[in-house]
Amino acid sequence: MIEFTLLDWLWTTAYLLLMVGGAFFFYRLARRSESDFFLAGRGLPWWLPASSVFSTHTATDTPMWITGVIYAHGLRGLWYTFFTAWTAVGAFVSARIFRRSLAYTQAEWQSLRFGGLGSELLRGWLAGWQFFMNMFILGWVGIAMGKVCALVFGWPVWVGLVIPTLITAVYTLAAGYWGVVMGDFLQGIVAIFAILLVSIVGIVAAGGPSAITERLIDMGQGWRLDPLAFTGWTGGEFPALWWLTMLVIAVIGGFGMGTSIDWYVEAQRIQSAKTVRDASYGLWVGGAITLVRNAFWAASILAFFVMLPDLKEAADYELGWFRLGFELLPAGLIGVFFGAILAIHLSTISSHLNLGALYFTRDLYQRYLNPEAGERKLVWVGRASTLVLLLGSFFYGLMMEEITRWLIFALWLMMAGIWLPNILQVVWWRFNAWGYLSSWIANLGVSWLVVWVLPAFGFFPPLPDHFQFWLLMLLGAMVFVPATLLTRPEKMSHLVEYYVMTRPLGWWGPVHAEAVRLGLIEDGPSRQARSGPRPLIRRQWTAEEAQDWTREDWIAIVLSPLVFAGIMFGLTKVLLLQWSGLWALLGAVVGSVVIYWVIDPKLRAVSADYEEQQASYIKTLESRMRWKDDDGAATGTPGGGEG
Amino acid sequence: MDDKGLVTLLGMSIAYLASFLGMGLAWWSWRKRQGRQGGQREDR
Repeated sequence: MIEFTLLDWLWTTAYLLLMVGGAFFFYRLARRSESDFFLAGRGLPWWLPASSVFSTHTATDTPMWITGVIYAHGLRGLWYTFFTAWTAVGAFVSARIFRRSLAYTQAEWQSLRFGGLGSELLRGWLAGWQFFMNMFILGWVGIAMGKVCALVFGWPVWVGLVIPTLITAVYTLAAGYWGVVMGDFLQGIVAIFAILLVSIVGIVAAGGPSAITERLIDMGQGWRLDPLAFTGWTGGEFPALWWLTMLVIAVIGGFGMGTSIDWYVEAQRIQSAKTVRDASYGLWVGGAITLVRNAFWAASILAFFVMLPDLKEAADYELGWFRLGFELLPAGLIGVFFGAILAIHLSTISSHLNLGALYFTRDLYQRYLNPEAGERKLVWVGRASTLVLLLGSFFYGLMMEEITRWLIFALWLMMAGIWLPNILQVVWWRFNAWGYLSSWIANLGVSWLVVWVLPAFGFFPPLPDHFQFWLLMLLGAMVFVPATLLTRPEKMSHLVEYYVMTRPLGWWGPVHAEAVRLGLIEDGPSRQARSGPRPLIRRQWTAEEAQDWTREDWIAIVLSPLVFAGIMFGLTKVLLLQWSGLWALLGAVVGSVVIYWVIDPKLRAVSADYEEQQASYIKTLESRMRWKDDDGAATGTPGGGEG
Repeated sequence: MDDKGLVTLLGMSIAYLASFLGMGLAWWSWRKRQGRQGGQREDR
């Protein structure tokens, strides 16, 4: 147990009052409409989604998880946290496409990308999945907070699960996404301050950066300073093939939607940004700050390792960063630290409460149960579903802790089978709703067979994670590729409409040609022939020119993950006074400037052009949301479809 | 199969159950609207 002084309680109480009080400030904004309650009216400047991306990437159990991988693996463990790199590519690909679709949720996007019955089934499928997933994540994160409160105050775990979550529910119910995103901004500042403070205090307590590295070398643990300390190609604790698999999942995943479990949360942040440009920068900056956070954590966990190198049980060393804060900070600052832990917790809980309610309200209630519901009613359904999620999360957290633990593993594995379809649905015109739906359904049986049944009956030994991933992907492809090619493509008119609106990257040749033929867009080559030779890097764009995917986009896409790696590893090394890190960090700074210089004029042009059409797009979407065509007549499906 | 496998199977099935319920709702709504549209066409 930790001793709290009056000053510590004062900090904690003040922080909670600020959060709950802020909710009443935004109550009036949130109740105006569904768009306000769930997307803050689609009007946020990039720095608000950015702080929210950082906050949602930082959950209560994140310090435990990152502490665990760094304590066990040294700096190579940072690669586990590099899954955030999907935001590096996603900022310039999937964020741009998703923001232009104007879909509230990923489930709604499915019904815009695909058509007919298949798209509706997919929408219902994903909405059900996400409603459940958010409830489950809330329970899981709540239990993590329960454990922290047990460590700090000696409370029973259920008290720490229920009380902070209830406080969060107050402002999430009242102020919806306005409360979430404004709270995230405040919580992000508090959290990053505490992370920096505790990490620096931890490094100093271990004798400073030089003492940490010298001590590691003296202990024969110098390999912990090497991010590429592989244990062979396929064997050992950190095989190169596992590293490559993680890199591919993260970086290539940025071309898709749903390739990371975080995508669904960030999709809401992307859509709440006021322009395409704000959406891109919000995701990119939020991801970058997350990697800065990882660097500070990594350096301080190495300090913790040097001070306590013999902890064998994960349950003991996973609390390392919390112990640095509670055991090293002076009285008075412990309250600030606990306030930061609350900040991390509140931000995660509020985000998932609002997101789960969004899927229920928009994709299940409004779409399928009451399409004619008015704005006020939708806001109240949003509040009611928030309450259901809250109660469901208590059930998960309290009654199903063990199942929840294994479920996380199961869900990760299942992402393997749909990882490639999540990308194909964005980049390949021919991929259809039946292919995508079949990949989800097949994944259940295939992952169950590969991971448990066949090894249990001795057909083959349990496989390492990286082999499982590739095998599941291959077996999944054997189902969804035939399912796609043996069923009809989506209707060309539907695809053209989606293409003109979102201008996706990838293999969309026939759809592009049809859109040109219909006079909806201008063909790139003929436009270029008219305008003459282009400069190596173009910085003046017309609206139509900026819609094409050009070398400027590819420069940003390729440089961005390199910059992210440079930020995380460079900063970690600099914090340990290893000057090789300085070059990586400088390279990352220069790379960031180059990306901005190259891509910003284009993003501005894309945004300006799109904003002119946005109001009319929204009107059409809302009409179709109510099963009506553009003229207000009843229709069976949005945008036609094969029926 | 060990306990871990069984517990995981149960957890995954719950996750999929929610998805099937969502899909069932979409199917029901689709059928209802298709039927209503058919009726409207006949009225005309």
